[in-house]
Amino acid sequence: MMVIFILFRRQLTAYFFSPMAYVTMVVFLTVAGLSFCRLISQSMEESLKIGDLLFGSMLFWLMVIVSITLITMQVFAEEKRSGTLESLLTAPVTDTQVVAAKYAAALVFFAIMCAPTALYVVVLRLFTATLEGMDLVPVVTGYAMLMLIGAFFIAFGLFASSLTRSQLVSAMLGFGGISLFFFADTFQFLGHGGFGSRVLDYLSSVQHMVDYTQGIVDTRPVVLYLSGIVFFLFAAVKVIESRQWK
Amino acid sequence: MQSDTDKRMIQVSHLTKRFASTVAIDDVSFEVQRGEIVGFLGPNGAGKTTTMRILTGYLAATEGRVFIDGLDVFLQSLEVRRRIGYLPETVPLYPELRVDEYLTFRARLKGVPRRKLRARLEDVKEMCGLNDVARRIIGQLSRGYWQRVGLADSLIHDPELLILDEPTIGLDPNQIRAVRELIRNLGRRYTILLSTHILSEAEMVCQRVMILHRGKIIASDSPAALMGLFQGNPCVVAEIFGPRDAVLPQLKNLAGVARVSCQVGSEPLAGAGSLPAWNRFRIEAVRDEEARAAVFDMVAQNRWALRELSVEKRNLEDVFVHMTAQGETNGDNP
Repeated sequence: MMVIFILFRRQLTAYFFSPMAYVTMVVFLTVAGLSFCRLISQSMEESLKIGDLLFGSMLFWLMVIVSITLITMQVFAEEKRSGTLESLLTAPVTDTQVVAAKYAAALVFFAIMCAPTALYVVVLRLFTATLEGMDLVPVVTGYAMLMLIGAFFIAFGLFASSLTRSQLVSAMLGFGGISLFFFADTFQFLGHGGFGSRVLDYLSSVQHMVDYTQGIVDTRPVVLYLSGIVFFLFAAVKVIESRQWK
Repeated sequence: MQSDTDKRMIQVSHLTKRFASTVAIDDVSFEVQRGEIVGFLGPNGAGKTTTMRILTGYLAATEGRVFIDGLDVFLQSLEVRRRIGYLPETVPLYPELRVDEYLTFRARLKGVPRRKLRARLEDVKEMCGLNDVARRIIGQLSRGYWQRVGLADSLIHDPELLILDEPTIGLDPNQIRAVRELIRNLGRRYTILLSTHILSEAEMVCQRVMILHRGKIIASDSPAALMGLFQGNPCVVAEIFGPRDAVLPQLKNLAGVARVSCQVGSEPLAGAGSLPAWNRFRIEAVRDEEARAAVFDMVAQNRWALRELSVEKRNLEDVFVHMTAQGETNGDNP
């Protein structure tokens, strides 16, 4: 446990040592802020629910996907390229500890990156005339789902990063894979309306967000994402281990 | 039996590592005793790095077993890694950290308790000469310091065994000298296995050298013994002033002399064998001491002159070329 914490702290500080972390955060928050403004002005004409105001913008989700790709692409690829993975994995630490620590660090960085968007809630509260106009349940469930989806995408991104020593290859794999998951419902035509379509619909993050931002709590996506996280982290550990039997 | 195992730091038996299409290490067995400085010598691609990676648990062997301090590297990997300080060939460091920060991170990672941390840090910085750069950012250090930080990292948890992969590669001559000196000093406290493709380095630093070629150990002995083993009969070189036609038969008749050859002298008249001139003779003897004394006596009796009488030194380079060339021929005719 101690080892995981040491590795976690190193990884998290590594994010803040690189300019990429700040650029990612600034760009993400700028775009998220602008699309929030756009939704606010849109709400002058038609009434929008609070969940839609916070999470209803596709641009916001595009930035989430891009940011997660950037956060995760270097994690293993860079250490492989520079060879530091060798000194890391010949220290008395297990491969599982390394993956767990790096995952936790990426997740915390993602949470830090998203945290300032919570200010939008304060802004909304200040400008909402009546108390009953503000329902906090969709806010809480919405953020919970954002974190859960983010956690799953990060696990996938780490897996993509473990496959290669090139950050660009890792980024493309991660971005492609995450996008397919996120927009899985748009591929429903592949299932010809049958069982396949229902599976794709079930996988789609867009559908989950629509539910959760309305305060509807469904346990199925929770199970889906948690098992997905476990699966891809396990796969990443196995890929790291594969140096042993290649 | 127990004390026997205690003396062995590394025990490798029938180690084989196959990659998809190549055999990197082919049925290698060796032992390293506690306190030894052993060098792996071999051309690039001989299997040095792969062997070291298996010893440190980074790669798994295809066949064979490796014990470090009596522990199986595959089954008790973490225990083994605590006992090993490993410096990979590329010396991977995090360039954005300061030297102190990096060493602290590595120390904590390798389980150095917090209360001992400061003392350990001071120790290795002192040993590796890093006190001047402790607050510098690693990415801005010169290659020599970079190497020393890597070495300090491998020492930080006070391991029993140091495994150093090409520790002097890419350094300038002064830095090489400093690092070799450092390794020799470390040899008093640690068991060291290092790899190199520079023969003089192995000769200077190591007590024992293992020559690795195409994944096999083709020789293992002290540098001196290796040189003695493969230079054939010891040779004496003598430069004698006298008529070649007279000197040559007399040299051949000396006791203990196996073969004599004459290298044409540098003097213009050396060509004429019957006239006295400076000639260089290469005398292959069974035992060099006797040959030298006998040569001197012979020259004195004939009242010729002598301006050089030396034992021809061969270095590991010759041994190495000799042995690997042999391997080459074997490889061509399987």
